[in-house]
Amino acid sequence: MNPVLTFIVVLIGLYGLATSKNIIKSVFCVTIIESGVILLFLNFANYEGGAIPIVSEDVAAIVDPLPHALMITTIVIGSAVTALALIICIKVFHHYGSTEWAQILRREDVK
Amino acid sequence: MIYVPAFLVLIPVVTGILILVFRNERMYLLAFLAQTLITVLAVSYFFVFRDDFASGAFVLGGWPEHIGITLANDRLSMSFIFLTILLWWVVLFYKYEPRKTDHSFLFFFLFLQGVFFGLLQTNDLFNLFVFIELTTIVATVLVGFKKTGSSLRAAIYYLLINTSGILMFLIGVLLLYNVFGTINLLHIRDNMEAMDSERLVQLAYILMMAGISIKAAIFPVYTWLPKAHGAAQSAVSALLSGLIVKSGVYLFIRMNQMFAALSLDYVDFFFIIGALTAIVGVVFALSQKDIKQILAYHTVSQVGIVFMGLAQVDAMTAHGGLLHAFHHGMFKSLLFLCAGVIIKVYRTKNVSEIRGVMKTMPFVSAMMIIGMLSITGAPLFNGYISKSIIKYGIEANPFQYAALFAVNIGTAASFIKASQIFFGEKPLSYAVKKRPPYVALAILSILCLVFGVFFAPLSDFFFTVDISHVSILSARGILEYALYLIAGYLIFRLIIKKDGSLIQRLRGFRPSFETANYVFVLYMAAMALHFIVL
Repeated sequence: MNPVLTFIVVLIGLYGLATSKNIIKSVFCVTIIESGVILLFLNFANYEGGAIPIVSEDVAAIVDPLPHALMITTIVIGSAVTALALIICIKVFHHYGSTEWAQILRREDVK
Repeated sequence: MIYVPAFLVLIPVVTGILILVFRNERMYLLAFLAQTLITVLAVSYFFVFRDDFASGAFVLGGWPEHIGITLANDRLSMSFIFLTILLWWVVLFYKYEPRKTDHSFLFFFLFLQGVFFGLLQTNDLFNLFVFIELTTIVATVLVGFKKTGSSLRAAIYYLLINTSGILMFLIGVLLLYNVFGTINLLHIRDNMEAMDSERLVQLAYILMMAGISIKAAIFPVYTWLPKAHGAAQSAVSALLSGLIVKSGVYLFIRMNQMFAALSLDYVDFFFIIGALTAIVGVVFALSQKDIKQILAYHTVSQVGIVFMGLAQVDAMTAHGGLLHAFHHGMFKSLLFLCAGVIIKVYRTKNVSEIRGVMKTMPFVSAMMIIGMLSITGAPLFNGYISKSIIKYGIEANPFQYAALFAVNIGTAASFIKASQIFFGEKPLSYAVKKRPPYVALAILSILCLVFGVFFAPLSDFFFTVDISHVSILSARGILEYALYLIAGYLIFRLIIKKDGSLIQRLRGFRPSFETANYVFVLYMAAMALHFIVL
């Protein structure tokens, strides 16, 4: 895959963050950026004809294994962030009856 | 002794898990025990390796250094570690109530300390990303811990904007890995001159600085900070304002060390950003009525002053900026903790409704006045020292000096406004039963004074930088402070007290989340324009 395409995925996520007016959409946009970053990493690690990074005798060239190891961690952290964000979304909805940024941020603080 | 860096991360986390699993009433003792252990380990580590920190580096898992994760320290990170330990002790004392242990709070509280130690010590860029993200997640939980509507909406705002920023940081890490073939910070620093694709490294610098700017809450991406710090409970606000914001400052210094050989012109750019941060923070603080919002906006403005100091070629001025970050950690936590006590007694956050604190709580008001004197930069208090060093460094340039002067006057005006709570009469209809947390407040206020008087030996001990040229009782310093107070009082009487329509509009200004992200993208574009095109 072309690295430019994966970079476009990141830009789509940024565009979504800058325009979406709903909390849940914003959470999805963060997830989209994250997917873009993961694809970008794997893209840089990969090249034509590289085998999967499990070393055995008959494999000559393998792809770089380090980005794969890093991206597993990123995926785990990303799932934690998404889960936490969605839980807070539910709580916010219980308090304000809405998940629109404009509506929840407009309310004055309740004493 | 070589394992100490790993233990500093492990002990708080494991203790937190133990407290959460065995929900016992005596578990608070375990927290105190763990904290003592960390203190002893960190202090002894400092004394053993203080002449040669490189020999104290610890590579996890026994891998070669360019593959494995290295935990290493220097004087910068050790000083931040000491500040962390100090603030965590203070908040432990502050939150201590016999037979009323909040186990889940203690868990997140100790966990945050562990991951923050990791953030300070790691030398691996990806590991750094993991720790920054963990800090964000745990801090989010702590911000929303009260489960009120305002704290939850602040928590989600904080989480999403920080995560998007830190993903930009991760793209920067990827670009660096692609160029250098390693993500070890020291190796990249050493090979910085030998690299051939300069454009890619500059892009990496911009993306990483964008993520760090959000963490440090500098203009124009500071909008999450007043929400989060104003809505969290006071103990958490003290930690976030005193320390977690400083992770951005710390990373700013670290990353500029790493990119030093690239000789990017970051000085002008970040000075302007820092000055704007300071001025915008003060202007918004002047318009607020909620005492925690006032303090939170002052965090923004003080971080601006820190950046004004750090973005200087002169090493002494940069040291002044760093010192201001430490001093701010002390006095801002003191102010937040005092405000927390006052809010609990008066049951309101509105400055114009709280009156007569001096009579009802003499001890707390004395402590709060010490904090206010420190933040406005009175001689004999720690804020004066760091602000003076920055002032000496920039006074040759009239525009820079004027910016700092304006910020100081604004700070004085804002705290003259906040000090109205001490005077007047407002009989409480109920008796103040709870004793104030004497120990926590006393530790911080004594330290504010100690760092304001014995600054020269302390700076020499921690940083080996000689700052004895600052004189605390010079006629000029006292005159300037009097000028700040008089000008601040005039601004308060003539402008702020009238509460005109402009101030009301500033108070009601709430940028939406999508606007904040739009501004973030524009900020990255501005950095690209400055660093790559020009």
